[in-house]
Amino acid sequence: MLKIDNLHVRVAGREILKGLSLEAKAGEVHAIMGPNGAGKSTLGNVLAGREGYEVTAGTVEFEGQNLLELAPEERAAAGVFLAFQYPVEIPGVNNTYFLRAALNAQRRQRGEAELDSMQFLKKVREKLAVLHLKDELLHRAVNEGFSGGEKKRNEIFQLALLEPKLAILDETDSGLDIDAMKLVADGVNAMRDPARSFLVITHYQRLLDYIVPDVVHVLAEGRIVESGDRTLAHELEAHGYGWVAGRHAPAGAA
Amino acid sequence: MATERIQMESELRDRLRAPATGNEAVEAALSRRYDAGFVTDIESDSLPPGLDEGTVRAISARKHEPEWMTEWRLKAYRHWLTMTPPHWAKLRIGPIDFQAISYYSAPKGPKYKSLDEVPRELIETYDKLGVPLHERAKLAGVAVDAVFDSVSVGTTFQKELAAKGIVFCSMSEAVKSHPELVKKYLGTVVPQGDNYFAALNSAVFSDGSFVFIPKGVRCPMELSTYFRINAGHTGQFERTLIIAEEGASVSYLEGCTAPMRDENQLHAAVVELVALDDASIKYSTVQNWYPGDENGVGGIYNFVTKRGECRGPRSRIVWTQVETGSAITWKYPSCVLRGDDSAGEFHSVALTHHCQQADTGTKMIHIGRNTKSKIVSKGISAGRGQNTYRGLVKIEKGAEGARNHTQCDSLLIGKRCGAHTFPYIEVKNPGAIVEHEATTSKISEDQMFYCRSRGIGEEDAVSMIVDGFCKQVFRELPMEFAVEAKKLLEVSLEGAVG
Amino acid sequence: MGAFLDSMLAGRDGLGGVRAEAAAALLRDGLPGPREEAWKYTSLRALEQRRYAPAPGEATDVPALAAFALPGVDGARLVFVNGVFQPALSDLQAAPGVEILPYREHPGQLDKDLEGHHGTGSADAFLRLNTALVEDGASIRVVAGADAGAPIHLVILGAPAAADLAWQLRLQVELGAGARLSLVEHHLGNDEHAHLGNLVANYVLGAGARLELLQVQDAGERATLIRRGSFHVGEDAQLAATTLEAGAQMTRHDFRVHLAGRGARLESRGVFVLHGRQHADTHMDVRHEARDTSSDVLWRGVADQRSRGVFHGAITIAEGADGADAALSNKNLLLSPQAEIDTQPALEIYADEVKAAHGATVGQLDEQALFYLRTRGIPLDAARRILVSAFCSAVFADLQPAVLRERLDELLATRLPQAGE
Ligand SMILES: Nc1ncnc2c1ncn2[C@@H]1O[C@H](COP(=O)(O)OP(=O)(O)OP(=O)(O)O)[C@@H](O)[C@H]1O
Ligand SMILES: [Mg+2]
Repeated sequence: MLKIDNLHVRVAGREILKGLSLEAKAGEVHAIMGPNGAGKSTLGNVLAGREGYEVTAGTVEFEGQNLLELAPEERAAAGVFLAFQYPVEIPGVNNTYFLRAALNAQRRQRGEAELDSMQFLKKVREKLAVLHLKDELLHRAVNEGFSGGEKKRNEIFQLALLEPKLAILDETDSGLDIDAMKLVADGVNAMRDPARSFLVITHYQRLLDYIVPDVVHVLAEGRIVESGDRTLAHELEAHGYGWVAGRHAPAGAA
Repeated sequence: MATERIQMESELRDRLRAPATGNEAVEAALSRRYDAGFVTDIESDSLPPGLDEGTVRAISARKHEPEWMTEWRLKAYRHWLTMTPPHWAKLRIGPIDFQAISYYSAPKGPKYKSLDEVPRELIETYDKLGVPLHERAKLAGVAVDAVFDSVSVGTTFQKELAAKGIVFCSMSEAVKSHPELVKKYLGTVVPQGDNYFAALNSAVFSDGSFVFIPKGVRCPMELSTYFRINAGHTGQFERTLIIAEEGASVSYLEGCTAPMRDENQLHAAVVELVALDDASIKYSTVQNWYPGDENGVGGIYNFVTKRGECRGPRSRIVWTQVETGSAITWKYPSCVLRGDDSAGEFHSVALTHHCQQADTGTKMIHIGRNTKSKIVSKGISAGRGQNTYRGLVKIEKGAEGARNHTQCDSLLIGKRCGAHTFPYIEVKNPGAIVEHEATTSKISEDQMFYCRSRGIGEEDAVSMIVDGFCKQVFRELPMEFAVEAKKLLEVSLEGAVG
Repeated sequence: MGAFLDSMLAGRDGLGGVRAEAAAALLRDGLPGPREEAWKYTSLRALEQRRYAPAPGEATDVPALAAFALPGVDGARLVFVNGVFQPALSDLQAAPGVEILPYREHPGQLDKDLEGHHGTGSADAFLRLNTALVEDGASIRVVAGADAGAPIHLVILGAPAAADLAWQLRLQVELGAGARLSLVEHHLGNDEHAHLGNLVANYVLGAGARLELLQVQDAGERATLIRRGSFHVGEDAQLAATTLEAGAQMTRHDFRVHLAGRGARLESRGVFVLHGRQHADTHMDVRHEARDTSSDVLWRGVADQRSRGVFHGAITIAEGADGADAALSNKNLLLSPQAEIDTQPALEIYADEVKAAHGATVGQLDEQALFYLRTRGIPLDAARRILVSAFCSAVFADLQPAVLRERLDELLATRLPQAGE
């Protein structure tokens, strides 16, 4: 599904990702952990196609095509979804209207029929129920005045509605209370599918108790420095990132 | 002279249609043109270009006006002669040759006694513009006065309105049918000598709408006027007067279009609103005069004086405008808040693209106690457009408890446009509170990326964000107009991105 | 020609060069009239009819040093009385790399500085007047890399004289690359004269230089004071200005900042506190002319009794000045039914990668805060004073040293409405 090879990325003149490689097969859940400023969000942004992130070397293949040459909306249509760490507010743009425009734009690009408003609303209602989101949020402007937790849940709601092939969740658990975190995890688990992969960026092992990953990676200083199964997350929780760094001290020199 | 070809327009359309594949994107692109740019092929009776006392008398004579009206015009004309054109602080504009303009143009033939007599070409013109004048369109439930060049060609629903004592007719008609009202109110809000263009308008005004809502009556439907400039080398000088007596209320809409021409045509209107005790007037404009082409050739000079006076206590005047057209727009719909507890509002979206220039805003003059005003202005500049907000909030000594809140936001699309904000705040009463806030920025990259990462293309994302930016103002418009306004904005922004 | 210009220029036929040009232009155009946008709220009609004796005139009563000392301001000192440099009261001892030249003692320098600034001039009448007639002032230069150390105190004092005088002063301040200077411009005087002062100051900040400027305007309450400061801020240079306008009958202060080099920054804090029939007109004009420049302007105003406060704060972002970040805020309190505040923030923007915002308010004290203080037992009058004073001193919040800040607070307190008024 996703194959990242030796990815180097510069942001504002500074190299942030320094030869990152990662492969995720269809149906897999990969957790990415790592210290603040390691480049986790940078990875998410690069995959989604944000401007200002300059790929200086390396490749990213998504379902066999070169992801890096696609515009952000083309990536979305191809099935890449990023749940933002800090979802932006768009004043005046109605949430429902936005979602429908997004969904139909993607469907159009894929040559699928657009949904009329009845079909769309039906779909929306289903997904809302799963996430226990208030109807009222739909009538507000995109993320405007949403609480931190509401914004995160709105991201997962979009995920449910847009049904991408690859979902990147950037710290979707931060700022959520315990119950909301369970809801989000349930939402994600309900979407697990042999044809869908997840990159779950998180600082907390707790989320991974709910969304059980197939692989756990540690991203530090722009590289994956350690990968393992879910027990790696427990080790990190217990020992901190220093533990990984200690085990790989000179590795960066290679 | 005004018989020009529709063919040109249809050729243009054919050319645009050439690559059509029946697909929607092309359709959409097609509609993103100045749709109202066609010319109606109808013979007209026009005065030759030029302006002197004879011209003023000739206009008055064609309209069969009473002597007092002719004198009123002449007085204004003589005053105008003593005035100098305004100094344009922020506008790029050549001198206007007032002798090269024809001050009167009307479709030829006898005056139509009823809508049934209006020639088919005219009815079709308005149909094409989406303004229904014919019978079946009455279902729409909006009473319409249609002004074609210098004259009103028909007003719908007059009988129904008359039953409630409401007068809705053309200004020319009102001068004859309700001279006492016209005499009492005309020029009392915008005096003849108020400014250069108001004086000119007072001398040569051709037509416009007259609305009178008697005491206690709520006008049961939206009233609307549709202004159309058709003939070349003519100016349009309409004059509108709306009076709402004690406790009366009315919502009035105005739309404007003109053909594409490579000359600059002058539109210098005056609008006066009078709201007596507890009365309320809502005045909405969607202005889509021809803006000129990408290089700034042609387009309407839109120099308008609009002012409302809240004369009575608790009266209310709301101006809402969406300005997407004209080469130059220069207008400041204002409120004089004389009555205690009266309120004025101004909601504006002004968009300038290519070489358009807009200098618009409002004046809120607080005279009465506890008067309130609210200003929301959204400016969008694209291409080489220059967009200026200019506003005055004045709190006079006696305006104890006055309140004003002003919010002015500007959005920049592209490197070569300009956005300017010039508010004036003058406060003479220590019990007043005035707040002004303004921001200017380009469309946020974060917002763009968010939309695009959800699959929405660049152009759509821009119009979505721009529409959101204007929402606060669109909300003030009646439903049909809001839809129209949104569409206009999209059309006007075509090619602004990238 | 009005009485004013007549009294100023009559008999001054011997002027040469830029002075003659300026005088001719002044005579041709006169003083700005009410239709001139920049003078919309400040009428010069009365001034036009006044006559002044030519300066310098003998001062009859010059206060002792202690009267104008400011705590923490203990660097070099330049004292001007009625527009004339006072060597006896001054102390030109400065840090290495700092050169202070009073023009009275260095007329050649004045000529050079006048020439240097010719052509950049605008049509401003008072600038012309100054150029034509100025004979005094000083140039202060800090060489590249030097730190001028303790604040230099510039004292501009009005003292009673046989007749009301009109004086001109010129100031030229130049900071080389990386230089640092702290300067205090201090106007004061008593009410026994009604002189007209006209100060023109040009500042040039080289790359990476930093100027901290404190302006304390506490001129005599019958005086007329016209000031014009032009700042050219180079690459990565910083101007931090704090301004207090408390004195003078009529004052007009033009503050023009050109953020001319990439990364240039301005921080301006100011307040006017007016009473009686005072009229204060401040014109801030900030131009972002290079990339990544930033400006942060925060001004407050209080007008009591029959005073009138005018604030014009314009920000222009020129074409190509991408990355500019501009914010301006102007808040005012109107305390009397006879007072007036006119505020006019303005934005003119010709670039698109920018962030610009301004806000202006005119209003009264926060009722809730007032109520809160009263529930704690503070009488209404005192509560008002506390809040007004807090409103003003927010402007000095970051000023160092604390003793100086306290002195300014004291000064403010004497200008605020007294209890029972
Ligand atoms: N647009 C940008 N401009 C400048 N620096 C940036 C930009 N985006 C990211 N960086 C820098 O890149 C580094 C990596 O940032 P990133 O957001 O990817 O970290 P992260 O691993 O997601 O951290 P966190 O756990 O705190 O979210 C940081 O040092 C950050 O400051
Ligand atoms: Mg992050």
